[in-house]
Amino acid sequence: MITSAIPAAAPLFQMDGVSKRFGGVRALENAALAVEPGRIHAILGENGAGKSTLIKIMAGVVAPDEGRMLMDGREVTFRSPAEASAAGVTCVFQELSLIPDLSVADNICIVHPPRRFGLIDRQAQRVIAEEALVRAGAEDIHPRMLVKDLPLSRRQLVEIAKALAWKPRILILDEATSALTAADVAKVFSVLMRLRSEGLALLYISHRMHEIAELSDECTVFRNGHNVMSFAAGTHSNGEIVEMMIGREYSNAFPPKPERATDTATPALECRKLGWTDRLRDISFTLGKGEVLGLGGLDGQGQRELLLALFGVLRGTTGSVLVDGKSITLASPAEASSEQIGIALIPEDRKTEGLMLPMTVRENLSFSVLDQVSRGGVINREDEEQLIDEMIKLLTIKTAGLDLPVAALSGGNQQKVVIAKWLMRKPKIILLNDPTRGIDVGTKHEIYLLLRRLADRGTAILFYSTDYDELIGCCDRVLVFYDGSVARELKGSGMTERALIASALNVEDGHVGTAA
Amino acid sequence: MKDATPEQPLSRLPKFPRQLDPAISTAFACIIVLLILGSLYSASFLSPEYLLQQLKVASFLGVIATGMMMVILLGQIDLSIPWSVAVGGMMACAAAAYGPVGETLAIPFGVACGMVIGFANGIGVAYLRIPSMIITLATNAVAQGLMVVYTGGFSPQDSATVTMRYLATGFLVPGVPNAVLIWAIVGAIAIFVLTRTTFGRSLYGIGNQERAAYLSGINTRRIVLIAFVSCGALSAFGGTLLAGYASKAAQSMGDSYLLPSIAAVVLGGTSILGGRGSYLGTIAGVILITLLQSILSVMQMPEAGRQITYGLVIIVMLLLYGRGPANR
Repeated sequence: MITSAIPAAAPLFQMDGVSKRFGGVRALENAALAVEPGRIHAILGENGAGKSTLIKIMAGVVAPDEGRMLMDGREVTFRSPAEASAAGVTCVFQELSLIPDLSVADNICIVHPPRRFGLIDRQAQRVIAEEALVRAGAEDIHPRMLVKDLPLSRRQLVEIAKALAWKPRILILDEATSALTAADVAKVFSVLMRLRSEGLALLYISHRMHEIAELSDECTVFRNGHNVMSFAAGTHSNGEIVEMMIGREYSNAFPPKPERATDTATPALECRKLGWTDRLRDISFTLGKGEVLGLGGLDGQGQRELLLALFGVLRGTTGSVLVDGKSITLASPAEASSEQIGIALIPEDRKTEGLMLPMTVRENLSFSVLDQVSRGGVINREDEEQLIDEMIKLLTIKTAGLDLPVAALSGGNQQKVVIAKWLMRKPKIILLNDPTRGIDVGTKHEIYLLLRRLADRGTAILFYSTDYDELIGCCDRVLVFYDGSVARELKGSGMTERALIASALNVEDGHVGTAA
Repeated sequence: MKDATPEQPLSRLPKFPRQLDPAISTAFACIIVLLILGSLYSASFLSPEYLLQQLKVASFLGVIATGMMMVILLGQIDLSIPWSVAVGGMMACAAAAYGPVGETLAIPFGVACGMVIGFANGIGVAYLRIPSMIITLATNAVAQGLMVVYTGGFSPQDSATVTMRYLATGFLVPGVPNAVLIWAIVGAIAIFVLTRTTFGRSLYGIGNQERAAYLSGINTRRIVLIAFVSCGALSAFGGTLLAGYASKAAQSMGDSYLLPSIAAVVLGGTSILGGRGSYLGTIAGVILITLLQSILSVMQMPEAGRQITYGLVIIVMLLLYGRGPANR
């Protein structure tokens, strides 16, 4: 259903029926988008809706599986970011892509520095950099300054200047303001509005609803890889937009939640004013035995840092953490997973943090219990075998043999190995960092059942997920994170997708309610 | 990714024959080719005396390469081998000059000095996070400097103890040189440590994915430290054997062991990036390197030519195995 007001003349940029799959996951399905010059076009959607894939295709980072892209009505294909930029589509990525130890001018001209006699022409480079900086509204930055000496907001402007040095016709900004303070955002906004008046087409991706309301001319909402709707800014309320971002069916069956009082006498885990740099601020909560506590919110609001901090990975945390009512120090994963404390972390990226892919299933499974299956440093193969057998049965891991490399298993089975590896320690508290990302529905369902079964036996579970369905379906309570702190706690019937998204975007829930 | 065996129930594969690493079979094939080439050149190349002599020479490299293998399995490297070997030999001989007590403690003292070098390397790599290539080069230079101060720049006059000579050149079992026996013992311990102990598992784990090992609750820094200390100890032990073999220590005795020890480990199929490799491969690599050296000298190839040949062989093997798809 596309109810957009696409004008009759060929737009500056258009994509049609674009699809992209990653493995078995549909990232983008039959997506369409039209971009007009002199307009700011906002792209909205929750985590995994396909926004980043869309941008990556436009910027030439990934190639679409199907569909076509047109510029000025002529078909184009981009095989690399450089090709896209040469054609006039340039992206300012979320992560700052500047090299701190090079000068501003070097950074701006890094891809195609002007040359004379085969050497970089520093004079010409400075002129190009100055021009680009002026256009980006940062004429006060000297091109010879080192990037590392600039404050963050200035670096963002340099980043925009670097994109402008390509003389683009379409400028894509992916979460360009997420690292900036309100004052800096205002500065960037005035630059963007001037660029719009110069006739540039701007594609603006942000999770901040008020920014979109302030800046954009048009909006397109994405959901599950489809573009749901395009409309002129201001024609729909925040509440309606949130509805559009949700509106999907529940596809996963979740195990029933037990009815019980949420507050137990001694919580398994208690956090008091936990902080770490500016990524975690005053996090306080309790996690009862047998409770599944969800961590919600947009990606990158401090949820991962919280899990890593609790597991003793981060240095320099403030505040205190209590396990079974006793204060603990967060020194290292080895200590956090010791028998007295009993914390396990199912990490985010199973390929780099969870598994050693070339090593065998056996070696991977017993890696976290080496101290328990060995005596004087010598591994007892029988003890090892016995523990492994139990786990393989419990989790129904499908493998043709324990001595196969774990890389030979399917993604879902690999994830089960990661979970099994940690369950072998019989932890009292399990921290899960987005454990179902990129795995099939069947395995997801098994993991949900497993979590509930563990909770019923008294294990406390802290569950971070980027999938709102999962949080609602699996958790007894959800803490919604925003900008490094807990924005809201949702429980019981208050755990709706709408409430989750509204608090994740930090807009008033009442706002959504009245609009709907 | 597709599941290779979707619905097959869990079955036990026999532990052997596990597929032999192609690098190991290639190394053994190369050994056979070298023997054939050598016998074409001179008939005495296949005589038992000559082969046993080669095995004895290989033992010194074998002991040193054992330590190197542990470090390479971690994905690190130890470039302080030359002077760890020399320090081991020289300090053992130095201790021998202090009467009967010194003679008894000669080998332990030499090995302990090597452990000190390894400890410095390990602290640098594990705790100070200095790249191993830098810190081990630096400790090598420091060790060299200390030895020059100690000897005054001349070859030391102290000679090896009787025990050292006996270990390197004697025959406890008739027909089997003691050096070969020692390598067999060191190798057996290494195989046990690598396959059956938590330390061995941790070495492979860290070499494969240090983050995952750390998050699994492994004290990664301690493992790295122990590996470097072991490497220093084994190098120095190799040095005491070499000093026993030559009856005395020399300034440059370790210089010709750095490249061969790395080459032997890598030729045996241990990934230079860490995490993969078996001791069987290292045995093959050590023998291969020793035979190669021997053939080149029998053919009267000058030292320069030998160095060029090692270098080229390592490069070719790295191209063949070091970046194979199994690594990705």
